[in-house]
Amino acid sequence: MTDDLILDVQGVTKSYDGLEVLKGIGFGLRKGETKVLIGPSGSGKSTLLRCINYLTRPDAGRIFLSGEEVREGNIDAMRARMGFVFQDFNLFSHLTVLDNVRICQIKVSGIDRETATQRAQQELARVGLGDKAAAYPAELSGGQQQRVSIARALAMDPDVLLFDEPTSALDPELTNEVIRVMQQLARDGMTMVVVTHEMSFARQAADELIFMENGHIVEQGPPGNLFSHAASERTRAFLNVIAEHG
Amino acid sequence: MDIYDVLIRDFPFLLKGLGVAIVLLAALLVIGFVLGMSICLLQLYGPKTRLLQWPLLLYERVFRGVPIIIMLFIFYYGISGVYDISAFAAAILAMGLRSAAYQSQIFRSAFQSVPAGQMMAARAMGMSKAKAIRHIIFPQAARHAIGPWTNEFSSEIKETSLAYVIGVVELTRQAHYIITSTQGNVLIVFAVVALLYFVLNRAGNSLLYAYERKLAVPGFEK
Repeated sequence: MTDDLILDVQGVTKSYDGLEVLKGIGFGLRKGETKVLIGPSGSGKSTLLRCINYLTRPDAGRIFLSGEEVREGNIDAMRARMGFVFQDFNLFSHLTVLDNVRICQIKVSGIDRETATQRAQQELARVGLGDKAAAYPAELSGGQQQRVSIARALAMDPDVLLFDEPTSALDPELTNEVIRVMQQLARDGMTMVVVTHEMSFARQAADELIFMENGHIVEQGPPGNLFSHAASERTRAFLNVIAEHG
Repeated sequence: MDIYDVLIRDFPFLLKGLGVAIVLLAALLVIGFVLGMSICLLQLYGPKTRLLQWPLLLYERVFRGVPIIIMLFIFYYGISGVYDISAFAAAILAMGLRSAAYQSQIFRSAFQSVPAGQMMAARAMGMSKAKAIRHIIFPQAARHAIGPWTNEFSSEIKETSLAYVIGVVELTRQAHYIITSTQGNVLIVFAVVALLYFVLNRAGNSLLYAYERKLAVPGFEK
């Protein structure tokens, strides 16, 4: 059934200069589910994530958000319903934390300033940064910046949140504060697709792991299954290497 | 009557010349700003067709590549052959169009110095390209542009004196009138004129720097 899928990705392909990065990827996501995309560098995880909201335009394939197809023509409206968290945060550097979290509510969703402010403060409190509303991004640590960017995405009331290696630019201590926020979101029933190398997060928060390599999905399933007895030799090898170093 | 009495007597003429220079400066900077910003936005965000981009490039190259005195002659003597244009209007036009070419490149580099992730994040949140430029890119580019723009401001103040060559009665020409009528004293008159240009330059730049400091983002630029 496709009706209850929040996100339905079908047959997505993408090539750069003849190099096929995605070779027909499909997966679905139900409300409240968290799926974690893992795989070696260059396997196409980030490209897939960016194809979902057309930051990178897929060559072929279809993407449905809550039953509605994502197209070039409705892309701004669809993106407003898909939160995106970048590896390097990309907070708006000239705006305070509060303005970062409310500007798109006001300018994209047309929400009035007062309601947007309340919502922004609520989301900042949720990521533990209620006291940083007046600060500018450059005054915050990387972990704090990433939590603001999560609050910024949450404030738009998205159907789904897409995370593109949200902790790869952070040291282990800062990684933990971001991971804790993401684990709480998963428990709160947020629908999420997460590209990450944080296996502890994958193990605890993912409903399903998707292991990608060379533009294919090699294997997918609940983290318990994959970690203990992955069907594919390649998946086992990858998880072993990660376990040793992660 | 010595030169100091003459200077005191004729000082109102110098101030009048300074006033003409200021009006010329303001007019050419406004034309340069509006046109320069339009060229910058079209070059960066407009359609990439040659039909649009080549004329813009040609315009920018020509106006940056020809001496302003030649431009003044071309505009004044060229246009007055077919249309009765005043020297003052010709100067505003020639210098404004040239300033547009320079300002377009100041703005282009300022816009391009905003990290690509800013546009990407704005688009990913559902902003249209136009909204992203207006609310996210422009405010950051403006901060980068003020510094280089003070250069353009300073150059143009000084270059208003070149409007002299087509007969605009601005500060330098007023000074010349005084020198001619008093038979000499070149050094003192031009020293006073130099001081007037300098004060105007410093005053303008101080305002621009104050504005730059006011816009500086905490933790980032200060």
